[in-house]
Amino acid sequence: MTTEPSDTPRPLPATWPRVLVVTGKGGVGKTTVAASLATHFAARGDRTILVETSGARVVPGLFQRSSSGYAPVQVADRISTLSITPQAALEDYVVQQIKVRRLFKLVFRNRIMGPFIEAVPGLHDALQLGKVMDLERERTRGRPTWDRIIVDAPATGHGLTMLGSARAMMDMTRAGPMYEGLKQVHEVLDDPTTTGLVLVALPEEMPVNETLDLWDRLGESRAQVRLCVLNQVRPRPLDRAEWDAARPAVQSLASAAAGEAADLLEHWMCRVDRQDEARARLQGGLPVPVRDLTQLPHRVGSHQDLTGLATELFAASTRRPPPSDPTA
Amino acid sequence: MTARIVICCGSGGVGKTTVSAAVALRMAREGHRVAVLTIDPARRLADSLGIGELTNTARRVPLHTVAPDATGTVDAMMLDAKSTFDELVRRWSPTEEAAERVLRNRYYQAASARLGGSHEYMAMERLLQLWKEGPYDVVVLDTPPTRHALDFLQAPDRMAGLMDQGVLRWLVMPSTKGGWRALEFGSEAVARVLKRLVGRSVIGEIAEFFDAFRTLADRMRDRSVEVRALLRDPHTRFVLVTSPAPTARAEALYFLEVLQAQDMPFGGFLVNRTVPAPIHATATLDAALEPAEGLAASVRSALRQAHAHRTSVAATHAEAISDLRAAGPQGAPCWAIPEQPHDLHDLAGLVALGPYLPAGFWST
Repeated sequence: MTTEPSDTPRPLPATWPRVLVVTGKGGVGKTTVAASLATHFAARGDRTILVETSGARVVPGLFQRSSSGYAPVQVADRISTLSITPQAALEDYVVQQIKVRRLFKLVFRNRIMGPFIEAVPGLHDALQLGKVMDLERERTRGRPTWDRIIVDAPATGHGLTMLGSARAMMDMTRAGPMYEGLKQVHEVLDDPTTTGLVLVALPEEMPVNETLDLWDRLGESRAQVRLCVLNQVRPRPLDRAEWDAARPAVQSLASAAAGEAADLLEHWMCRVDRQDEARARLQGGLPVPVRDLTQLPHRVGSHQDLTGLATELFAASTRRPPPSDPTA
Repeated sequence: MTARIVICCGSGGVGKTTVSAAVALRMAREGHRVAVLTIDPARRLADSLGIGELTNTARRVPLHTVAPDATGTVDAMMLDAKSTFDELVRRWSPTEEAAERVLRNRYYQAASARLGGSHEYMAMERLLQLWKEGPYDVVVLDTPPTRHALDFLQAPDRMAGLMDQGVLRWLVMPSTKGGWRALEFGSEAVARVLKRLVGRSVIGEIAEFFDAFRTLADRMRDRSVEVRALLRDPHTRFVLVTSPAPTARAEALYFLEVLQAQDMPFGGFLVNRTVPAPIHATATLDAALEPAEGLAASVRSALRQAHAHRTSVAATHAEAISDLRAAGPQGAPCWAIPEQPHDLHDLAGLVALGPYLPAGFWST
């Protein structure tokens, strides 16, 4: 593994692709990261749409708003959100194609045919990406409706990306109108100048292994990865050397209460030591910027929380000096 | 005697797979012959268990190396949904040719890991095999990550629905042009729509699949009815694994609701990564640090912070546990696994969780 001094973080991209897909395993905080990115771009003046997939509807709660649906709803200044369900995307697509809603119901709401069509590999992901494409193409008075499209991708148990899964769908169809549609989706979403990927990981050994594993399997899509976010990082309470030097003095107090606090502090220090190891392994394995998001003492649940996280994510690195030559 | 079943459910990221392995080890130490079936293990789990690789076939965990007193055994394996489905096709097809026809079908090859939630269903099918045919007292099942509890629990019902012969007959009707190839899909109009949308080739493959699959559909259907019954067997226990975090807890409570509505036996909550409150009060710590003049302000502050942080986190965890206790049925167990200071990376670490885990649901 290549090691790199942790005081030379790679700089964030100067320009970002219009579409950003946030991906990672379940439970790592993809939605929080996606909402923080949306908050950042909206604050810069971009009309931003934050897309939830597979029927998730967590975003409105983060902005203290009530539920969302398949149509965009505004949740903050210049931030709208919508929740795609595969079923709604399918209906949308079919009705666009055949123009008759009744026929859609006849075929897809059919309890017999439905499960077989839905088992076509990658169909769900392909349809959801199709909807993202529609947002990308949408125009209002001649200009793009959305300056920035942030997609909170479905949790992938097997580390596959939505993009890879849609490719399986193309292999299956080979020809026909859906194939043609998918080809267009691919031309846009495989293009690193239009679409970027943001990976999210937790600062622990296993999640970092899984992220490195995902990177290995990304293949050609690696060029699309713009950022890796290390989420829920706990701050270091004390310098390791200072603590190791002070520990005997604390123990010499011969106080049970001080001894307990020393154990708790050591436990915390161990965790942040492991965080540092995890971050170093990520930085060594991924040639992209890796940024921390500090764990909040409470559940993320307001625009203010998200603004704080966005600021941290995009802050010029204050803890470490900027690199003199990022490509060295 | 047939085995007893423990099914570990919960949302992603709560440590379900690790907990399932630890539960299996704990039960083996109590003398049971245990099998643990994992679904989506990180590579590290095989290392932690001291076996080279997790595969579709059982491997014996070298439990005696860390627990010489253990009287039972643990065999670990990983679900391979595709091979399990292939095996079913081979087993229940009337002839080898019929089996080959299904296995060669492109739609089957591409969709068999997804059809009707087949990943979930194949986990249960494998469970049924182990239960009926394996030399085990207990089978512990780690479940696939699913968005909704129902996706998992209703998998047998959906599979049974798919395998309904009446449905298949309706779908595959003898064509006027001979053979079974042509598909009606209920009506010409529907078929035309499908072809226009997804392309002729997909529909052709699906038609071919239906036709080939009819020969084993009856057996598959019987099998899914058995699986359905196994999930409701009075000796089966569903353990709901959760972290103290509110989102994971909400998911566990929803799962409980579904279990109860479906008459599936609830075994208890298992709350992973909890921390206990400090024994000493803040005031006691302050008093102890007072005379220690040699300590730098930064060290004092860090000690106080560590104490205060633990106090507040432990309070939310305690609240989480009591919420779950209150939500569960009267007397239902709620186990709390303390957070470990180091990552669990070996068998000794997994075995060390034993005291916090259920040893068995049936002896007491």
